[in-house]
Amino acid sequence: MRVTLLKGVTATAALGVMVAACGSTASTSTGSSSGGSGASAGSPLVIAGVIAITGSSSFEGSNQAGGIYPAINQINGAGGVLGHKLVYKGVDTRGDPADALPAVQQLLATTSNLVLVAGPGTASAPTIVPVLNSASIPMTAVAGESSYNRSTYQYFWRLFPPDSANGTGMALWAQKKGYTRVATVFGTDSGSQGDLPGVLASLKALHMTLVSQLNITPDQPSYLSSVQKLMASNPQVIMTESDATTAGTFFGELKQLGGLKPIIGTEATFTAPWLTAVKGALGSAFLTDYTGMVTEPSQTTAAVTAFQNGVRASKAQVPPPWQSYLNNPFSITYYDGVVAVALAMEAAHSVNPKVFNSYISKVTNPAPGKTVVYTFAQGVAALKAGKQIQYFGATGTINFDKYHNSDGNQEAVQSDASFNPIPLGVVTAKQIAAVPVQGVA
Amino acid sequence: MFDTLISAVAFGVVLASVVAIGSMGFTIQFGLTNMLNLSYGGVMTAAAFVAYILVSHHVSAWLGLVVGGLFGAVMTLAMGVYVFRPYARRGAKLFELMMVTLGLGLVIDYGLQALSRNNIYQFTVLQSAPIHLGPVVITPTQVILAAIGLAVFIGLELLLRLSRVGKALRATAAEPSLARSCGIRTGRVVTVTWLLSGFLCGLAGVVYAIDSQSIGYSSGQTFLPLVIAAALLGGAGSPSGAVLAALAMGIVTQLVSALGQPAYSQVAGFAVLVIVLLARPGAVGGGHNAEAQVTV
Repeated sequence: MRVTLLKGVTATAALGVMVAACGSTASTSTGSSSGGSGASAGSPLVIAGVIAITGSSSFEGSNQAGGIYPAINQINGAGGVLGHKLVYKGVDTRGDPADALPAVQQLLATTSNLVLVAGPGTASAPTIVPVLNSASIPMTAVAGESSYNRSTYQYFWRLFPPDSANGTGMALWAQKKGYTRVATVFGTDSGSQGDLPGVLASLKALHMTLVSQLNITPDQPSYLSSVQKLMASNPQVIMTESDATTAGTFFGELKQLGGLKPIIGTEATFTAPWLTAVKGALGSAFLTDYTGMVTEPSQTTAAVTAFQNGVRASKAQVPPPWQSYLNNPFSITYYDGVVAVALAMEAAHSVNPKVFNSYISKVTNPAPGKTVVYTFAQGVAALKAGKQIQYFGATGTINFDKYHNSDGNQEAVQSDASFNPIPLGVVTAKQIAAVPVQGVA
Repeated sequence: MFDTLISAVAFGVVLASVVAIGSMGFTIQFGLTNMLNLSYGGVMTAAAFVAYILVSHHVSAWLGLVVGGLFGAVMTLAMGVYVFRPYARRGAKLFELMMVTLGLGLVIDYGLQALSRNNIYQFTVLQSAPIHLGPVVITPTQVILAAIGLAVFIGLELLLRLSRVGKALRATAAEPSLARSCGIRTGRVVTVTWLLSGFLCGLAGVVYAIDSQSIGYSSGQTFLPLVIAAALLGGAGSPSGAVLAALAMGIVTQLVSALGQPAYSQVAGFAVLVIVLLARPGAVGGGHNAEAQVTV
């Protein structure tokens, strides 16, 4: 009996792994009639974070909290939005689209004062973006898929460059450094794979040689055969994205076997867990051999200072360590999303998403005669003075196109020992747009 | 190409050594207690964290390995005596006990998540030049881990075959009531089993962390499917079977990676399990009385 039971469980698990690895996906389309803020005077408005809060991708939830709490605290400190305080409600997807959909449906059914959903990410966006759009809830997505480059979802907003832009920036930077032979090492998880097509298409467009393409299963005890295969292909540079544990193991083995080459990581690699793992694996080589490609600006602006002050003031609320959010591109993006939406509500004189949604780009996009503001308080003051405003965010200039995408420049950075970015150079959005990338959906 | 294959086999042996330690502990405990202990991965992680803390405070990695094993032994014994035994005495069935172990494993995992602040910790114990053995390039750490796996296997086989405790353990696993009527104190045998399997579990956790050079709260659970698969493939209660199975799975996964499909390496490993079970339900280790208890 016990053997039968054990065999059943293990064989089921084995088949499950096989099916998952074969990359089957399922899409679900579910409508919802809920949505829109029916907030009574003075009642709090809800900013929901739909993100992995637990599970192996829980760092995503931490990154989000590290951006939203500073924004909410600053806005509430400035008197709130039209007399309403903002509150943050985390909705745990555990990184699984199957968990995301019911969580969002429950959110919509139970939350009447919902004005923004932050964070449909790569894994959950295909499932929940249509639902939120049908419910007329604005969302500030961090889903990098190029399929959203021409999004027709009215309530979808992306302050994050598409994955292909990040990949093109990496390829352009490698070309600038004189590299022609490139190896890619990407995890097979959906987040990492989402960035890979942009890298591959850009390498092809720039006529660079892809000597090895490794897609590795996350969290294996060893990658020795893959490491040796990579070494045998003799690349000049390695482009990569994977989860922190996988990266620590892979690059640790690569270094121990004497095959370490310069590494260019996607934006997702410039986060504290990944940098911690790889720094531990590479030792002193980490400071010189790793380059991250992140959204400009990495250097301090007035908006960045405001954000970082907000993080420091919120350190009791954000998941520890609070320092990890000071230069975290995801946290900064979430912060800007909340501030932009709050200013849109102020500009529209309404907390109803159907009314203020169209004001989001009006308070962010540059235009002649607009007053540039760097904080919510500055924006409210300018609006009350009857001026049109341009919110210049901690992510830099926010300029939404007609598809509600705001693509910025890419910046190559190294990391210091405390994971602060050291700017190396910029790849402009214009340079990226000039690369004839094809075949990326 | 030949060099690549030779290297893959060598890397497979290293991987198998790591898997086999955990599988031997799992199969001994499962073979004797009949309990599918899904908290095994959690104990592996906890033991690895204990070793990591010691090593990060400049304690010898060897001592960390032993203390990690001892921690696993004590933790497993405590769980067996204070959690599983009371449930069993209240008449909990196999499936109910399995759910208890699953729940306990989650409690351990999420407890570790809170304590570790959900961080990934780097666990590199020896940084030295790689060793070149013909076409195979391998690190001293990996050679040591393979040697540890071999030593554990030999030690366990000697213990089971030559010592009184080992013989009592095998007798109890084969037929508890007969063993009891022959004067074997089966309660003590079960206690020894908890300690032994727990020690191997802790040891496996530390070895896994050293091999992967990192540790997080879910490390053990990530590793657990390989451990269970090798234990099953080898036959319940058969350490030698577990070692053979681990070798087969380790070599197959590394060969698949070497042939250019690392994304499917783990799939290939589990495919071995499925194919062998289909072709030979008794599995490679003979599974002592396993076939007699198959009811399907």
